[in-house]
Amino acid sequence: MTRFRLPTWFVLLLPAIIVLVAVVLIPLVLSLYSSFTPYRLTRPESLYKWIGTFNYEKAVKSAHFWAAFGRTVLLLTIALNLEMLMGLGLALLVNRVTYGQRALRTLMMFPMMFSPVLVGFQFKFIFNDNVGLVNNALQSLGLTDVAIPWLVDGKLAFMSILAAEMWSSTSVFAILILAGLFAVPRDPIEAAKVDGCTPWQSFRHITLPYIMPFIYIALAIRSLDVARAYDIVQIMTNGGPARRTELLWTMIGRTGYVDAKMGYANAMGYISIFLAIFFTIYFFRKLNAARTELGMAG
Amino acid sequence: MNENLIHRLKGHVLKVLHLFALFIAMSIICIPGLWVVLNSFRPTVEIMAKPPVWIPNDLSLDHYRAMFGAAGEGGVPVLQYFTNSLIISLTSTIIAILVGMAGGYAFARFKFRGKAGIFIGIMITRAVPGVSLSLPLFIVMAKTGLIDTHLGLILVYIALNVPFTIWLIDGFFRQVPVDLAEAAEIDGCTRWQAFWKVEFPVARAGIASAGIFAFLTSWNEYALASQLTRSTFSKTMPVGLRDFTSEFTINWGGMCALAVLMIIPALILTFIVQKHLISGLTFGGVKG
Amino acid sequence: MGKTKFSTLLGATAFVAIGGSAFAGEFDGVLIQAKLIGGQQYEALYSRIAEWEAETGAKVEIISKKNHFELDKEFKSDLAAGTLGWCVGSNHSSFASQYPNLYTDLMPYLPAGFIDEYVPSNVEASKIGDALVMLPRAQFDVSVLYYLKSAYADADNQAAYKAETGRDLAPPDTWDEYKAQAIFFTDAPNFYGTQYAGKDEAIVGRYYEMVIAEGGQLFNDDWSPAFNSDAGKSALAWFVDLYQAGAVPPGTTSYLWDDLGQGFASGTIALNLDWPGWAGFFNGEDTSKAAGDVGVIVQPQGSAGIRTGWSGHHGFSVTEKCDNKKAAASLVAWLTNEDSQILESSGGSLPTRTAVWEHVSEAAKSDPFRAEAIAAFKEGASHSFPAPQTPYWIEATNLIYPELQAAILGDKTIDDALADAAEAVDEMMQENGVY
Repeated sequence: MTRFRLPTWFVLLLPAIIVLVAVVLIPLVLSLYSSFTPYRLTRPESLYKWIGTFNYEKAVKSAHFWAAFGRTVLLLTIALNLEMLMGLGLALLVNRVTYGQRALRTLMMFPMMFSPVLVGFQFKFIFNDNVGLVNNALQSLGLTDVAIPWLVDGKLAFMSILAAEMWSSTSVFAILILAGLFAVPRDPIEAAKVDGCTPWQSFRHITLPYIMPFIYIALAIRSLDVARAYDIVQIMTNGGPARRTELLWTMIGRTGYVDAKMGYANAMGYISIFLAIFFTIYFFRKLNAARTELGMAG
Repeated sequence: MNENLIHRLKGHVLKVLHLFALFIAMSIICIPGLWVVLNSFRPTVEIMAKPPVWIPNDLSLDHYRAMFGAAGEGGVPVLQYFTNSLIISLTSTIIAILVGMAGGYAFARFKFRGKAGIFIGIMITRAVPGVSLSLPLFIVMAKTGLIDTHLGLILVYIALNVPFTIWLIDGFFRQVPVDLAEAAEIDGCTRWQAFWKVEFPVARAGIASAGIFAFLTSWNEYALASQLTRSTFSKTMPVGLRDFTSEFTINWGGMCALAVLMIIPALILTFIVQKHLISGLTFGGVKG
Repeated sequence: MGKTKFSTLLGATAFVAIGGSAFAGEFDGVLIQAKLIGGQQYEALYSRIAEWEAETGAKVEIISKKNHFELDKEFKSDLAAGTLGWCVGSNHSSFASQYPNLYTDLMPYLPAGFIDEYVPSNVEASKIGDALVMLPRAQFDVSVLYYLKSAYADADNQAAYKAETGRDLAPPDTWDEYKAQAIFFTDAPNFYGTQYAGKDEAIVGRYYEMVIAEGGQLFNDDWSPAFNSDAGKSALAWFVDLYQAGAVPPGTTSYLWDDLGQGFASGTIALNLDWPGWAGFFNGEDTSKAAGDVGVIVQPQGSAGIRTGWSGHHGFSVTEKCDNKKAAASLVAWLTNEDSQILESSGGSLPTRTAVWEHVSEAAKSDPFRAEAIAAFKEGASHSFPAPQTPYWIEATNLIYPELQAAILGDKTIDDALADAAEAVDEMMQENGVY
């Protein structure tokens, strides 16, 4: 009796695949189907009416949708880049510390303990124009005597959201890059020092290539995860005022749950998933390139 | 002599600059957080005062007392939420790490067809926004009777964290030169032993950080939890935060008090676990 | 002593006779699953559930306790997944029309005449078509005008206002006067004339009542949008003018009820149209800097001589799929009966039963502020009207509010904003097959 043996790699991957199929894939198929129907939560029977690509056409034709789409891309790009740079800086700062580093690392991860819901409320109060921390501080220090409408002015609201998002997520970059910094071999750096390289040169040519994979891992993970900013934005501005901070996620959430138009919301959701796929594949390519450079390609 | 002095001076200046930058960075990180902690001890009038009260003159445990008090007087079933959160987060983290280790190892050490495709496929599951996933997931869970159970949320959080842990652990496994494991195998270890003796210790840093991330993600997750939980039987702490909001009001001080209870265990756990970040790395084999 | 006992007994019998639903052991072994609104303000009433359980032998299991917006999401998910095995749910008059098939008509389960004890307008607002889908609890909301008395008592203010406008400075009775005074009082950024809810359903509700007060309508009888009219424009102009004049905090378009309540309690807002639940908060030493300085009068009227009065109330409903509707209806009736409403309104909320209104007025007599507030709310309630009773009300508000905000912030002109909003609502109604 010959026994068919599954390849080892497949056995190893099987648990992951099973759980992902059950929790993500099956619901996704369901929502893909519903995006071709006029599905309203409050009228379950509408799930059985096929309307083809109507929802997609409606989304593609909607100026509000594309505005939100563009704004989401902008927020993603700016947030990810700034978080990466600041995370790198933070990791380098902490890495130089020799005494009390363990406590400092924990402190560095402090914002990660804050649930995004909480961050939303927290920054909503911090940026409140009347009794908020920021305006109070600015007014008490005599830097301004007007109440700055942080959450209302288009640019300021965008910046406030960005600030909240960065506060909550820069730590993720910092800790991953720090882990990468620990993995950097000491010998080449010592050798470079002996050879008379400046710290910048040895950072640029030895350390950086070594931590590049970690940076890309962090970038990709964050780009996938940035949808979590939904909680923050939903509470801080809920896309308002006058759609000035509307992101795809707030738009989809409102359409799906408040308006109960789940079919349409899922269609928008699917278009926006392509955005995430694009970012993921982009960073994945970068990651592989960085690995090839280090001779770790698989 | 002179050059030496300049060199030393430069060193001092750099050191001061470094400490200054570190201080600024840490302040930015800590102040918004500590503000929450401080608010949990202040009466709401003082938090919302205008002109602002900078030096707190009325610190009390009132918000905490109210939170542990009876329902209807501001009481919230904190202990129940806490237990739910702990059970759900710990279980899902441990399982996600095991599943992720297996997966990460497969990607780092095996060559097979369609690898890149499968890898991206797994990662993309993470890209699905919670808002679009929550309703279909709810329907599936409702059909299988998993609504308002610990198991339901545990499953969801495993799925949420697996792509993430696979990716992270994969990256760390790749850092272990293949020769090392092969050398161990030549020395008479089985692949299994080689894994635990050689590769696991090196990847421990990756596993520890993946573990922290997975735990914090589960501990803080709100969008899906709010959809899949109903009663105090399974509600987690982030969902519990919403108990402090009602149609017309937000009890911000009370919310801060619950937030502090959320932060403390996460902080302690992070502090304990993160020492493995280094210990795995002291292994000399990493050095090229 | 004997007398008290007698009257209690009489009360109980009267209830059994009228309520007809609480016979001892009537529902032995019945389990009622309930999804109730949570929060300090609402939960005091739930202590009465134990009494009902003891009386009828049934058992109540609260399977979900969330705030209203979360509950709304949960109900919609339940409808979608078909998980409707539960019986009793908290409901709100502004949300109820969204789920017309979820809840059953309570009329067949109530004894004749039972419903007559509620305030008729509240009963009207509890219906979808002819079906009574909920019984109102003592959580009725209509907004009246809160103001800072010191702003009016100030002699300088009085003289300056007289010089400026030729009118005496007194709490306003028209929205035009209100606007003029709000602009007059403003001393930004430390003191503002007024503020208003600036987003979500809240601003559309405020706009809606202003349109009515200006003599207009939000919707025509066929539910096509009617607000792109002169009344609609002058209503929106009120919001725009106040914002452009800087008489409201610049962040007002990001404010919801909580921000407004905290704002007035900080003592930096002169005039504030707000809900009954805040009265105690505004005048409480521990909670408000304006304590002792708060006046309450009926809400002003618009140019059409109609007072604003967008109102809503909480209630309890019984699902269509419930196994034991009779028991569920008995619980709902119990939670909204006279004793329950007396208990609940003692926390400061407004009742929806005629007799309890009198009880509340009587109880407030010893406290001048409370008496003033109750009088204002009683009059305010007489001018009240519910949110438009269409399943698409919430969806319409989501289309309208960004346009209102755009006009307020100056991104669009009033004409453009209303035209865009009307077009979007029209399209939505047609898509939903309303006409």
